[in-house]
Parts: sequence; C-alpha cells; structure tokens
Amino acid sequence: MTGPAAVNLVPCTVISNREVSRGNFLISLRVSRAFAKPQPGQFVHLRVGDEGEPLLRRPYSLEGFVERGRVRAVRIYYSVVGRGSKVLASHAPGRELDLIGPVGVGFAPRPRRLPILVAGGRGVAPLLFLSRRLRDKKRDYVFLFGARSRGELYGAREVRGGRLHLATDDGSVGYEGSVLDLLEREWTKGEHTPLTAEIFTCGPHGLLHEISDFARTRGIRCEASLEGPMACAMGACRGCPVPLLPGADSDRYPAMCVEGPVMDATVVDWERLP
Amino acid sequence: MKPSLAVRIGSLTLRNPVLVASGIIGYGREYERLVPLEKIGGIVTKTVTLRARAGNPPPRVYETASGMLNSIGIENPGLDGFLESKVPILRDLPCAAIVSVEGEDVDEFCELVRGVDGCGAAHAIEVNISCPNVGPHGLRYSTDAGMAREVMAAIRPLTRLPLIAKLTPNVTRIAEIAEACEECGADAISLVNTFIGMAVDTRTRKPILGTVLGGLSGPAIKPLALAKTWEVVQAVDIPVVGMGGITRPSDALEFLLLGAAAIQVGTALFADPGLPLACVEEIEAYLGRMKASSIDDLIGALEVPEGRGVIRAGRAVRREHGGRAS
Repeated sequence: MTGPAAVNLVPCTVISNREVSRGNFLISLRVSRAFAKPQPGQFVHLRVGDEGEPLLRRPYSLEGFVERGRVRAVRIYYSVVGRGSKVLASHAPGRELDLIGPVGVGFAPRPRRLPILVAGGRGVAPLLFLSRRLRDKKRDYVFLFGARSRGELYGAREVRGGRLHLATDDGSVGYEGSVLDLLEREWTKGEHTPLTAEIFTCGPHGLLHEISDFARTRGIRCEASLEGPMACAMGACRGCPVPLLPGADSDRYPAMCVEGPVMDATVVDWERLP
Repeated sequence: MKPSLAVRIGSLTLRNPVLVASGIIGYGREYERLVPLEKIGGIVTKTVTLRARAGNPPPRVYETASGMLNSIGIENPGLDGFLESKVPILRDLPCAAIVSVEGEDVDEFCELVRGVDGCGAAHAIEVNISCPNVGPHGLRYSTDAGMAREVMAAIRPLTRLPLIAKLTPNVTRIAEIAEACEECGADAISLVNTFIGMAVDTRTRKPILGTVLGGLSGPAIKPLALAKTWEVVQAVDIPVVGMGGITRPSDALEFLLLGAAAIQVGTALFADPGLPLACVEEIEAYLGRMKASSIDDLIGALEVPEGRGVIRAGRAVRREHGGRAS
C-alpha cells in the first residue's frame, strides 16, 4: 500500500490551449518531474495568472496525464465560466504558470467490480482519465455520458475498451434525455447488482444528487467527484466544507480539497452543498 | 555582514519579523512542503476554541475584487483535540509557534490560556478577540475597550508566555482598544483581523456566503490595514504586528516602515506559498540598500511631515514614531 503521492508546488508551461467546442477548452501543461504521477479524480490547484487577478488559485480536475520519456504533462478540460477560466483561456503556448498538485483523493475502483462511469457535461474530464486507466489495466467498464448537445460530448470518440452510451438533452446524438435515464436503463437490464458493479460520477451537483439517490436506494457503491471554490487546497483554511447527511461523521465537515474531491456520493448532503 | 533581522515580541525573539497569520497555514504541517518554515519567523495557528467547532455551513469562501470573503467559523478540534493531536506537530516546527485562542467568555479565555501555557509547545499566545465569524456577538471583545480589558486582565496572570492581542478593524477608534490591552499586560498588539463584508448573488437573490456576513481579506484591504496599524503604533509602546493584504514582498516593508515590529502574511499565501520567504529576502535586501546594520533602522522609519497623518483617537496620541506625532 503506497500513500498518496507528494503534493508539490510545480512550475508548468502551456503546451497548447485550444477551444474544442464553444466556450470549452483543453489545455496541456508541461510539468516538471517534481509533479508526482496523479490518480484519476485528483486535481491541480492552478495559479492562472501571476498579476494578482484572479487572487486565488483555481482547482481543476485532471482530464489526463501524459508521460513520454522525460516529459510530463497534465491536461485540463475547462469551460469559461468566471474570472479564473477567462484568464486561463487567454494563455498562449509557452506561457509559464505554476500549480500545486496532485491534490486530493481520486477514484478508487475495486477489483472484480464493473465500473459504471456516469458523466454530465464537462464533468466528463476525470472520467475520461479514469477510463484510460481502466483500459490500460484491460478492465471492462460502462461509460454513460450525457451533455446538452452534440458539440459538448468532448472525448466521447476516444472512449475505447468500454461500452459507451451517449445522451443529449436535445437528442442531437444518442438518447434524448438525461444521463440518469441511461443509468436507469443500464441498471434495469438486470446484468448488474451492487455486488458486481459500482458507479463513478462527475458533473453538475444537481445531477450528482440524482445519481447518488439512485445509488443509495439500491445499495450501490457510488463515488462522485465534487466541485467548489477552494482557497488553499491543502486542508489548512477549511474553506471548502462538504456537508454530510445525518449519521456517522455528520457533526463535522470534511474538506473537499484533501478528503475529496472524490467522495462517497451517498453520504453527501447534496441539498446543503452549493 | 548581513544585518540581523531578529525582532522581539515580549520575551520571544523571532529570527525575523515574517509570520504566517492565523487560519492560513493550519498548524504548520499542512504547508510544510511548500513554505520553508525554517527560514521564517513563525506561524500563528488556526484559532483554538474550548470546544471543538465544525465551522459554518458552505459556501465559506468567495473571491471579490482583489479580495476574499470568508466565513469559516473557526473550524477546529477544541482545546483537548489541540493538545492531543496538534501540540506534537507544533513541537517539531522549525520556527516559532504562536497559538491563537478564542473564548466565548472570560472563563473560556482563561481555560484556553492555561491549557496552551501548559502544553509546552507554544512560544506565544495570540488572543483572538476579533473573529467576525463566530456567534451573534463574535466581535464584542474587541469592539469594546472595557471587555477587551476584562479578558486581558483575567488571562495575564495565568501565563508568562507573550500575549498578543489581535484586534478587529471594525471599530471607530482602534487605538482605544489597543491601549486597553496594553494597560492590562498585553505584550503586543496584532492587527488587522478581517473587515466585515458581504456579497450578493443577483441571480438567486441570496447572500453568497452561508452566514450572510463574512470577513474580507486580501490586497483590497491593505490600505485600510495600514491606516489602522498606523493608528495603533502611534498609541501604544508595545510591539505591533501588522497584517492585512500583504501580497507582494514590498507590502511587508510598508507595515514595518510605519512602525510594525513584525508582519503576518495571510490570504496571498494561498496563491503564493513562496511569499513569506520572499518577504524575508525583500527586508534583507532593503536593509542592504539602506546600509542599515539592524532591522531596528527600518521599523518606524517612515518620514512624516510634522503634524500630518496623526489620528487623534483614544486617550491622547503620545507616541513619537518616526514622524512627530504631537
């Protein structure tokens, strides 16, 4: 059993930063060898600008990690939604930044269980990373991916080695409706039981809430990757509390940064999580 | 020869005047890989309360223009948890460990000071009478000179450790509170805690923070913090530890020049863990440029035109500090 990889402050350089669909970007950052090999679901705390705007770093889940010879790079799939991502989208190749990472707890698939990956929108990022690791280990998996429309199904074409099902709100590709419907259809096939399958999910918290309810009522193990504002991402400032449902441990708030961002979805009190 | 950067806070000698503020760095270990603690003066721990606190509901942090609002609510393991799980960490720190405490009443402050005094790992105690995020009356002890006096007078006989009273800037006459603390035996004053602030989500028509109000920190508050620190250095004779919005190394110099004996780095450390060391290096370089032999030549070296910038508050301005405050 190895402990979590060391968290370091690591300089990085933009290799590429392109808009893959309207408002959605993929950035590749070259990192030094000081950056430990990350697990899917872990994130980096990126200083997107060094001029004090924005003031705080931004946590970004990893879409991938590439190692070729002595070169290491991380990939982040992000949407321009606020001040930080707007600055990030402006960076050209060669721009130097720094990041803290890899941070947090990643996905922990168990042996001999079928992983069912459920992605909503840009929440696909850490699940693409996870699917590649599963493929590398020659493990079978199911990948359910829902988005608003065709253009937002980033990465769907490179999902290999698993069974991919797509859903779009507008029906432009795949099933017309929510990825939750896909999950229900998958489960009612009768091939899976809580002893043979488990769910890994990431997406808008409203969707994660629904998937978590689905899993809890059926006794299915379900890990979700959470998202939220963070100040330190080191477990020090206590600025990213995760509210838990009544029961064991509900008298405290785990820190999303170091006790997450991947957590047991069925104990999270989604009503109280912004 | 390099000038000495050592400064004194009561009986405590710091290797240099750069500290990390309470609530920023946990108990040191959280950041030990990123902040070279052996090269800075010390850290102030997350505030310890008598009973464990889960803290406030989310959201607890929100970035504003050049600032950060927080309403953490002093999430901490309580005195017993601190003694059991955090003191061993503090013992191994390669810098001064200043333990921050906050009680809900005078008795709690006393119990906390006794507990920390006896733990053997604290180099000083920062008395947090100024957190804006606790209870309906979180600020009462540092918005009222009488109550500040009551707390300081009660805890002073309980320890020989230096007591640093941390003040809120959310008052009209901060010098009055500082003077009250000094009279009751405080070894130093630290300021500022956060400014009470608020943000509104126009989409949901709700306050952004879970607790509605929070504390504002970051570069946005630096000019405000400097003015409060200036007011206090003119009013008291004990050392003043200045903080509020230090984001660049030269910001630390500003506080020292106007008379702070030490500074604390806060919010900016989240983005730049190298900032405390950069502050030390900046102070060293500045002393070199001044051809100064000691940091004492820098502290309070602000040149102020006669009679200007004097904040008449509290008793009487009686401190002559750089500028002639007459």
